[in-house]
Amino acid sequence: MTVLTGLTAAFRRLSAPARAVVAVIVVFGFISPIYLALVNAFKSTPEIAASPAGLPLHATLDNLRTAWERPDHLIQSGLRNSLIVTVSTVVLVVPLAAALSFYLSRRSRRFQATALAVLATGLMIPPQVVLLPTIRILGWIGLDHSFAGLVLSNVSGGYLSFAVFVYAGFLRSVPDEIVEAAILDGASDLRVWWSIVMPLVRPATATVAIFLSLWTWNDFLNPLFILGPLTGQTITTGIYLTIGQYSVDYGQLFGIMFLAGIIPVIGYLALQKQFISGLTSGSGK
Amino acid sequence: MRRKFFIAAGTALALTALTACGGGDDDNASSGGGTTTLTYLTFETPSLTSTFWNGSIAAAEKDVPGVKIKRITAPSTDRDGYAKQLQASGQFPDLLQSISPNNFAPAGLLKPFDDQWVDANFLLPKGNAVGGKVYIPPTNSQVIPLVFYNKKLFAKAGAEVPKTWAEFMTACARLKASGTTPLELGGADPFAASMPLVGLISADVLGKNPAWITQRIAGTTHFADPDVQASVQKYRDLIKAGYFQKNALSVKYDDSIKDFTKGNTAMYPMGSWLLGSLPKENVDDFGTFPWPTDDGSVVIPFSVGGSMAVSAKAPDVTKAIAFAKAWSLNPDNLKLLIETDGAFPMIKGKGLSDYGVTVSKAFTDSYALVTNKNTKVDAIGWVTNDNALPPGLNDEFYSMAQALFTKDDVAGALKSLDEKFDAAAKS
Amino acid sequence: MALDHRPARPPGTPDNSGGPGTAGSSRRGPAWLSATGRRRPNGLAVIAGVAALLYAGFILLPLGLSLASSLTDENPLKAESSFVGLDNYQHLFRDGRLLHSLAFTFALAAVVTLAANAVGLGLAVLLDRSSLPYRLMRTLAFLPQVLSGVIVGFIWRSVLTQNGLANALLMDAGIIREPIGWLGTPFMASLSIAIVMAWVLSGFTTVVYLAALQAVPRDLYEAATVDGAGAARRFRSITFPLLAPATTINVTICLITVLKLYDVITVVTGGGPASSTESTALYIVKVAFTQNQFGYSSAVAVLLLVVSTGVSLLVTSLLRRREVSL
Repeated sequence: MTVLTGLTAAFRRLSAPARAVVAVIVVFGFISPIYLALVNAFKSTPEIAASPAGLPLHATLDNLRTAWERPDHLIQSGLRNSLIVTVSTVVLVVPLAAALSFYLSRRSRRFQATALAVLATGLMIPPQVVLLPTIRILGWIGLDHSFAGLVLSNVSGGYLSFAVFVYAGFLRSVPDEIVEAAILDGASDLRVWWSIVMPLVRPATATVAIFLSLWTWNDFLNPLFILGPLTGQTITTGIYLTIGQYSVDYGQLFGIMFLAGIIPVIGYLALQKQFISGLTSGSGK
Repeated sequence: MRRKFFIAAGTALALTALTACGGGDDDNASSGGGTTTLTYLTFETPSLTSTFWNGSIAAAEKDVPGVKIKRITAPSTDRDGYAKQLQASGQFPDLLQSISPNNFAPAGLLKPFDDQWVDANFLLPKGNAVGGKVYIPPTNSQVIPLVFYNKKLFAKAGAEVPKTWAEFMTACARLKASGTTPLELGGADPFAASMPLVGLISADVLGKNPAWITQRIAGTTHFADPDVQASVQKYRDLIKAGYFQKNALSVKYDDSIKDFTKGNTAMYPMGSWLLGSLPKENVDDFGTFPWPTDDGSVVIPFSVGGSMAVSAKAPDVTKAIAFAKAWSLNPDNLKLLIETDGAFPMIKGKGLSDYGVTVSKAFTDSYALVTNKNTKVDAIGWVTNDNALPPGLNDEFYSMAQALFTKDDVAGALKSLDEKFDAAAKS
Repeated sequence: MALDHRPARPPGTPDNSGGPGTAGSSRRGPAWLSATGRRRPNGLAVIAGVAALLYAGFILLPLGLSLASSLTDENPLKAESSFVGLDNYQHLFRDGRLLHSLAFTFALAAVVTLAANAVGLGLAVLLDRSSLPYRLMRTLAFLPQVLSGVIVGFIWRSVLTQNGLANALLMDAGIIREPIGWLGTPFMASLSIAIVMAWVLSGFTTVVYLAALQAVPRDLYEAATVDGAGAARRFRSITFPLLAPATTINVTICLITVLKLYDVITVVTGGGPASSTESTALYIVKVAFTQNQFGYSSAVAVLLLVVSTGVSLLVTSLLRRREVSL
């Protein structure tokens, strides 16, 4: 603690240019593994061996091309499958969670507290605990090793809990008068929810959509066990199953990593503000 | 409202995509009289590459009309674990390469091959039988481990090919003195890390009592017995003397092969499949010798297998068996396996020359160990016959080999292995 | 489920006191009664009901099944399984590999939480400026959170492996003569995993601390400066206490993330060498699929659930109490 205080005080006492230099060095050091993966994706394997940290002097797209042109279409099918799972999951979770959250908000305090506590378990459960039974349950309804099964288990688990909590937080800022007025006017609860409340909690929808997309996209355990090799691979399980033990060809490895990871990164860079505000609005509460 | 539209459209799109991509259910069984698609679980190693599998599958498909193979690859060398995973999610493969039948046969998941066919085609028909039934055609055999050595490095150090343990230690000391690391270990990959232990226990314990594993399963012998302890202690002796590479536990199998073939280490105890990975340019720089026993007698840790098992639940078991038979006996296949994976063929009525292979002297010398009369014992932790270790025990055995590299407690490790063995054998 | 964070609020929060409008408005009857008291068809209840049902089916039901299975000797290779009562649970205490995995998991959680919070706070203080370069650097700091665990694992594995990038760079720079076995011994491998996870979670903690820093009212600092407080004093008395809620969130997220960690460990070390980096989450899967013991695996899973929930709740309530007292 004292070290931290001293350190931060030291930071604060730095002159602006010195601070900037320290910041750049520290951040670059922090990001260096990503930097290494990035630059080496564009170098041939011999060049990587010769100069592991340098910028690609003889930049080549060969690694990317080889990855893209793989006969097993690892990248294409992986990205496509990830997209399907992610979009389906998010599109289903948003209305379900928002509806449940709004419904709960109209109930008694005790009912809400109990319901939210039950939902909280979903957030804390390690997925391994429910993995085997989930597979079995999916088998009972004939959806084991299928996309529908994976989406269903995604939609119904911790993601739902997270979304409900996010909506619950934002619903507090919806003025009660508007809701009551609409009900008095004869609008059904459904209509009130859809036409009045949902537009007012748009930031919540954005937060849920962004984070759920990221987490579903990067999910590993569930697609690995629930989807299985015959149905198709998402990009994460595909990489894991393909690269496995024996590829020490760094150029190819980083080429595949680049193509696999670039989409979430681009999404993040484009939507930074929403990411950060989603996080901070929560932390502010 | 635009948003309503987008959400509705998105949902519709997602649902259509889901159904279009299929619930992913059995696309295995197509029409009855037409082509049956069978899934085939394979695994890749530096020798058994994608090209090899695709080529050998295509060749066998030609022999069995009406069969189309869909290949799946295990993500690691733990094929049994992966097969179980698939089984739990309802996707048990129809054909499984080189698995351990005792993991699946008791549950009735595998279809045995008929005895007539097996007896007619193989030199050791019951070499890998489980409960009297043959689940994997015994097409070839391996010696696990053989000690590979670099002749040049031996000459440089003035070391001689050892026959007894004492001579082995002398050779190691001479090699170390000449500045060469005596022994290679692929310590980061559990199966590779276990090789010295397999060699020791096979030579010392099984060499004197070939029925030891059977007795262990019956419970009359134990890993904690003094003879096993003495043998495993030798492993610690090698480690303490610094005969392995310092960072052995972080060397992956792939890298260990490169290390050894480049001449950084003098000896490498490894399965005989390494014969296929010896570099062609200087293949005659390498030789093999069996793991030395105390008294110099020749003990060969032996394992038979090399082909695939057939799932009893395959959509067309007859066609699946036919494919397996075709793949197992295909001479081009066997030729490739001999040349790139060091396989010792066990087909009845065929000698090495019948395959038209070009093999190194190291190979022919090692093959002689298989064909000559000597004491052959089951390679512990590798055989897939009735002496296969209970499910999960191979894992524990390999893990112990890694643990003993840094921990000096041989007695404790063996006692713990016994406990796990008993627990697994009970269930 | 890659659910690594809940930016909304920690679990079990006492703030669940009603949704919108309960403050001040009277609690009327069920909302789906119209003003005249007649029931109307309630589409909202239907959708909410579907959501609740799905949750029950895929979280609550599996929990129950896990619990039930933990009382049997279920084995995928045997057709029938029998009830064994608490045998599996008794076996837990004698299972060295399990106990080691628990020790490893919790040690990892503690180390990573401390490291990630320290790094996160340090980075946040360092980058707490509004100009463009700083905004850029803040953007970069969150990147580890955007990559999937598998990609993170493969990148770090190629950095830490025996002839990987780290050793290559260190040797090129002349800092070391021989390659370091980052993944070579149980201790080094565990340390490496800790480094990777601290790196991943620092992306999260940095952003949260930054937000908290920016929420501190500037006039508090001005008042303190006027009163003669130096930079260190200001940090200790103003900033640090006000960061308490952020710390609560960060610690909770770090704990939850590490306690259920699977993908990164699987890719970087596979649980090795010699099961030394086998977290309990990994062990659960191993027991099920390598040892064929579904029943025992469920018992371990239940144990993990109970222990993680207990620890998370304990830590969270302690931190919240601190929040209030600070």
